[in-house]
Amino acid sequence: MSDLLVVEDLTVTFPTARGPVDVVRSVSFTLGRDETLGIVGESGSGKSMTSLAVMGLLPKGARASGSVRLDGVELLGRPDRELRRLRGDRMSMIFQDPLSSLNPYYTVGLQIEEVYRAHRGGSGKDARKVAIAALQQVGLPDPERRVDYYPHQFSGGQRQRVMIAMALVCSPELLIADEPTTALDVTVQAQILGLLAGLRKDSGMGLVFITHDLAVISSIATRVLVMRQGEQVEYATAEQVFAEPRHDYTRMLLDSIPRIDDPLDEGVTA
Amino acid sequence: MARYLAGRAAGVVVILLLVCLFTFVIFFTLSPDPAVMICGKTCTPERIHQIRDALGLNEPFLTQFFSFLIGIFAGRDYGEGANLVHCAAPCLGYSFQTNQSVWDMVVERLPVSATVAIGAAVLWLLVGIAAGLVSAVKEGTWWDRAAMGLALGGSSVPNYVLALALQYVLVVQLQVLPFPQAVAFGDDPVVWFQSYLMPWVVLAAGYACLYARLTRANVIDTLAENFMRTARAKGLSPVLTMRRHALRPALTPIATIFGMDFAALLGGALITETVFGLNGVGKMAADSIAKNDQPVIMAVTLLAAFFVVVGNVVVDLVYTALDPRVRITAR
Ligand SMILES: Nc1ncnc2c1ncn2[C@@H]1O[C@H](COP(=O)(O)OP(=O)(O)OP(=O)(O)O)[C@@H](O)[C@H]1O
Ligand SMILES: [Mg+2]
Repeated sequence: MSDLLVVEDLTVTFPTARGPVDVVRSVSFTLGRDETLGIVGESGSGKSMTSLAVMGLLPKGARASGSVRLDGVELLGRPDRELRRLRGDRMSMIFQDPLSSLNPYYTVGLQIEEVYRAHRGGSGKDARKVAIAALQQVGLPDPERRVDYYPHQFSGGQRQRVMIAMALVCSPELLIADEPTTALDVTVQAQILGLLAGLRKDSGMGLVFITHDLAVISSIATRVLVMRQGEQVEYATAEQVFAEPRHDYTRMLLDSIPRIDDPLDEGVTA
Repeated sequence: MARYLAGRAAGVVVILLLVCLFTFVIFFTLSPDPAVMICGKTCTPERIHQIRDALGLNEPFLTQFFSFLIGIFAGRDYGEGANLVHCAAPCLGYSFQTNQSVWDMVVERLPVSATVAIGAAVLWLLVGIAAGLVSAVKEGTWWDRAAMGLALGGSSVPNYVLALALQYVLVVQLQVLPFPQAVAFGDDPVVWFQSYLMPWVVLAAGYACLYARLTRANVIDTLAENFMRTARAKGLSPVLTMRRHALRPALTPIATIFGMDFAALLGGALITETVFGLNGVGKMAADSIAKNDQPVIMAVTLLAAFFVVVGNVVVDLVYTALDPRVRITAR
């Protein structure tokens, strides 16, 4: 059986006024089923672009080259029509800011149901049941009632739970979580992290967890990819990275964990 | 909700009363004596006094004001004895020019203005929103630039210039349209349509330009929203993504603006109606101002205020229904 996700030599290029710019350069990693990959790096290091390239969701104008294979099937270069069938069904993504990532005009129920119906068809009634079950699964109390709530009627943590329910409603094999806890306060962060880890374990899917905070993934990642300015500076198992980081940059990230506003950060970006 | 509505209704009444009062004060203090105007050139002081009496102009300000208000709701009498005239409610007085009941004039002319407004609204919504949508989706292409250039230029062409140009070309030169005539739809639908076509186009043109630019800007903003990325990440079809996730957020603010624009137009399209000789409320307003026909001016002012104020409430209610975030807090 092939690995779930294989990314080889992935390069993402943006055309700019001063010529093409590679915002991701030659990134390679492998994610097995039942594994969690943590992608770490400072802001602007290309973490989001890497994951958007995997999903086929790069912004207009951006080009990806290299290889992205889901379950052995090449995704790069495939028409959007085909990728669409995979997105939300076999691979899903959740984002940093759950409030703006949900459409304020529709109930969360509808927004979960439409994923299910897009991929599985079926009646609205069935989809509604599925949506309620999905909300239940992510630990939202009173899902029968809250399925008819609008996004603004939830707390930040609850909204991220809704996003997770939406991403998992078709039981995907791959979930990419792009800084899902950054916008939340610390206790809620821990809850969402625990929820993701639990759900991943139960379903056996592969999880790509993106963060700029190495501490966040220390508890859940099996492998860690460290990125800096579009390049991968370290790729190893979590134990290796935390025990004996090979790269200075990783060491610096590790050192900076307890001191958030360390002036050292500026030295890193410069 | 009932309490909210009652509150809004009370607000409408208060504002309309204020508009009444304000208009009344202006006439009372600023405008020439209507009795002198009615009396004409061969006039005696006794005659003027008589007229003033008949119109109630010798009464103190507040008495006149309340007579006017009571007239609207209960009707009123003008003059006395053999000269007594009863004006049934809703009484807005009589035109100084024609002696016609102002209310009857309004009732007669409102359908014309409404026809002009509705036809134009349909046109500008269709054209403006469609053009804006296409421009937004094709942002940066030659179509987008051409359409938006046209929209920008178009919104700076004055109404009457477009009206006169159209009339000259279509009626005088090419003779493809007849001169606008006042016919009812039932009498001759074809002539009716031909008569209203130019007013619709002229009135709609400016709004269509404005709405095209608004729509384009709103759709582009919405397409950049995070929830649009979510919709694509969910694997929804582009049509559903556009129709469900982009259009509603993009068009809801436009519905609000439309409500206000449309309400204002119901009070009469002054220039368009005048240029095309349509006997609507707008032309009535223009004529009455030209001739200082105070009861009529008063009526058109009130009517316009009524539509704007009521339109405002309707827009708020519609917005409450369209945007769930507002809906919840309003309860
Ligand atoms: N439209 C664009 N044109 C050119 N460059 C872009 C564009 N969008 C993003 N970039 C660049 O791509 C780089 C990587 O961005 P990316 O969003 O992947 O960073 P990130 O690691 O996710 O950062 P963060 O932690 O802030 O989310 C950034 O340097 C950014 O400036
Ligand atoms: Mg990012």
